[in-house]
Order: sequence, then C-alpha cells, then structure tokens
Amino acid sequence: MWSRDVAGLRLTFHLAGINNQNFLMRDEQTGTYWQQISGKAVSGPLSGRQLTLIHSDELNFGTWQSEEPQGTVLQDAAEYRFGYARKDWDVRMQRAPTVIDFREHGLKARDLMLGIQAFGASRAFLYDQVVREKLVEDHVGAEPVLLVVGGDGQSVRAFHDRIPGIQGAPEFYRAAGNQAGGFGALLMDAATGSEWNFQGCAVSGKAKGVCLEPVEVIKDYWFDWRNYNPSTTIYGKKQ
Amino acid sequence: MSKRTAVAVLLACLFVSLLLAVYPIYVIRPFRAQGARELAIALVVMRLRPAVTLISGAATLAALALYWRAQPDRWRRGFAAAGSAFVCVLAVLARVNIYEMMFHPDDRPSFAAASRTKLDKDEKVIAIKIGGAARAYPIRNISYHHVINDVLDKVAIVATY
Repeated sequence: MWSRDVAGLRLTFHLAGINNQNFLMRDEQTGTYWQQISGKAVSGPLSGRQLTLIHSDELNFGTWQSEEPQGTVLQDAAEYRFGYARKDWDVRMQRAPTVIDFREHGLKARDLMLGIQAFGASRAFLYDQVVREKLVEDHVGAEPVLLVVGGDGQSVRAFHDRIPGIQGAPEFYRAAGNQAGGFGALLMDAATGSEWNFQGCAVSGKAKGVCLEPVEVIKDYWFDWRNYNPSTTIYGKKQ
Repeated sequence: MSKRTAVAVLLACLFVSLLLAVYPIYVIRPFRAQGARELAIALVVMRLRPAVTLISGAATLAALALYWRAQPDRWRRGFAAAGSAFVCVLAVLARVNIYEMMFHPDDRPSFAAASRTKLDKDEKVIAIKIGGAARAYPIRNISYHHVINDVLDKVAIVATY
C-alpha cells in the first residue's frame, strides 16, 4: 500500500506489466513505471523516486471487522466478478509455476514468507512456522521485533519490541488460553506484567494505554521476496 | 520522392512499428523470466512507442500518397496500402494497455460498511487505518484488479496486490 503523492504530484496508477511475476504500475501523469513490491520508479521521468509506504495489515476479515466495526470494505465490481479469485486462491497459487527460483535454506519457490524490511535490514519468516509458534521474538538488523499471531490463528502482525520507559527488549508471552479477537488481551510482558492485545496496545497493567510501534510485514512467496531482498536473512536458518 | 524511396520509407515504418509492438510483449510476458537489461529496454520502448508509432504512421501515409501517384500497378498499390494500414493499426495498438484488458481496472471503486459486507470470517483482506478511518480490501477482489486508486481520510493511496 503506497501513497499516491510524490514529487508534488498526485498520481493515478494502472497495471502496466510484469517483472518476474511481480507487477509493474504506470502512472497516468508522468508515464513512469513503478515496481509494485518496492514502490520504486524503475523507468521514466520519476525514475529513482520512491513511493511512501502506507502501513497495512493482511488479516482475516472476521478479525478486522471485530477491530473496526465502523470500517468500510471494497465491494466487488459486478461486471468483473467473473475474474475474481476463488476463496481458496492461496492454495491454488501454491501450485502455480514460477519463472525464477532461489534454492537456498531448503526453501521452495512458493513457500509463503512474512517479510520485514526495517531498521536497515531484511528478514523473512516462514509463515507456517510463525503460525505454529504463535509468538516470535527476534531481531531485524539490530532491533528487536515481535511477530504475533491473532486469535484467528492466521492473521499476523509485527511490532518493534520496545516499551517506552523500559530498557532493552521486554519479553512477551502468550496470555494462557486466550484466543481473543477484537481488543481482548493476547499477550503479557514480563517487564511490566501488562496485558497486550493484537493491535499491540496494552489493555491492562502498568503499561495500559501504551502501544507498540507497528512494523510493516509483507506476506510474499519466497522467490519474490528473495528476488527483491537479495541480502535477506531467514528466521531459524543459519546464514 | 521516388517510388523506391517511398517503398523504403514504407518498409522502414513497418519494421519500426512492428518491432516496437512486439519487443515489449516478447520481454514482458507472464511465465517468462525478465532480465534487468531487456526489461529496461522494453520499458523505454513502451514509453516512447506511442509517439514513435504516430510519427511512423504519419510518415507511412505520406509515403503511400506519393507511391500511389507514381505507381500505376493496382496490386502494388494494394500491397502498399495494406502495409500502411497495418502501420496505422500498430499506432493504435501502441495506445492499448493489454494488461488492463486482461485484468480490468476498477476505476470507480465502491465501498460499504463492514457490518453490511457479506464475507466469510476467514476471507483475507488488506487492512489500513488512516486517522480515524479504517478500510479493508478483500484479496479475492484486489488480486484481480491488482491496483485500486483510492482516497482515505483525504490521503491518496494505491492499494496493490
């Protein structure tokens, strides 16, 4: 998700091509081509410019709806509904061929990764592993991060693992037996004994009202993530 | 301009227009790996070809007019006219976005309240929140259109997938 305002212009984008199975956009105003995954202008008058990232989360609808009951949802365009993917699109995509592959760390091209580009580094986490572990405390570059699986068992958010006023990276653990959706407590931290929800906000305890800084996490296939993040490291794998 | 020069112009225009049409399609097609250099060339071609194919179309029509006057043979005139028409068609095709013919854009996206939207609980959405406004883009939908130009809480955004 990107801001459309760049270089004093408000751009309107169109699908315009493909680059190793990651698509290219073209803006109407300048004719510049942009890479979808990186937001970088790759050809044209604005070449070299970078779109500003707008933070987004990939969530299950039920989880999002419980958090944002007043929110709005993009509706299907009736005339194009025939082309929309089936609900099991992600399972079907696992079988689609790829044109590039990086046979590293025992990963397959279509392995689903959670990628983080932050703090001057790139790090990828195998989605299935994160879902299994439910809570991952790790580092991206030198900074501690926290990956949290929501109460639905599928949605994942990442946070900078720092609580204002607390030195170092506080240790978090899952609140026992809690499968809370919405704003219910999902985690506890050892430093303040506070309870935290899936939005990364403390809902009780000393830290009540404090929210962790969200970190952008992209769900992507291994081949695509690795192609645009050649120096990525991988959680749980020796580098 | 001699007949021979007119034919040379017609053939040159045909070659240039055809090359500009075919090369990007050859390079930027699904299920083929794109090399960095060939992609860069293809994108430059795509940027320049509307203007170049227009010039080529105009040049070919001018050459055809001269050739038509100088060439009495009907068949040869016919071939020259067909070639020129093809160059003009290529000039039109240079303005067509084939990717948006395959995956139609949603130019006027519509939105409804979460409470009135019927989606399964486990449907995947891309969610954003700007200021007090929250919005979700179902992946089933956006993975078809790929690009949704939107404004949320006065912030212009592009949702992509």
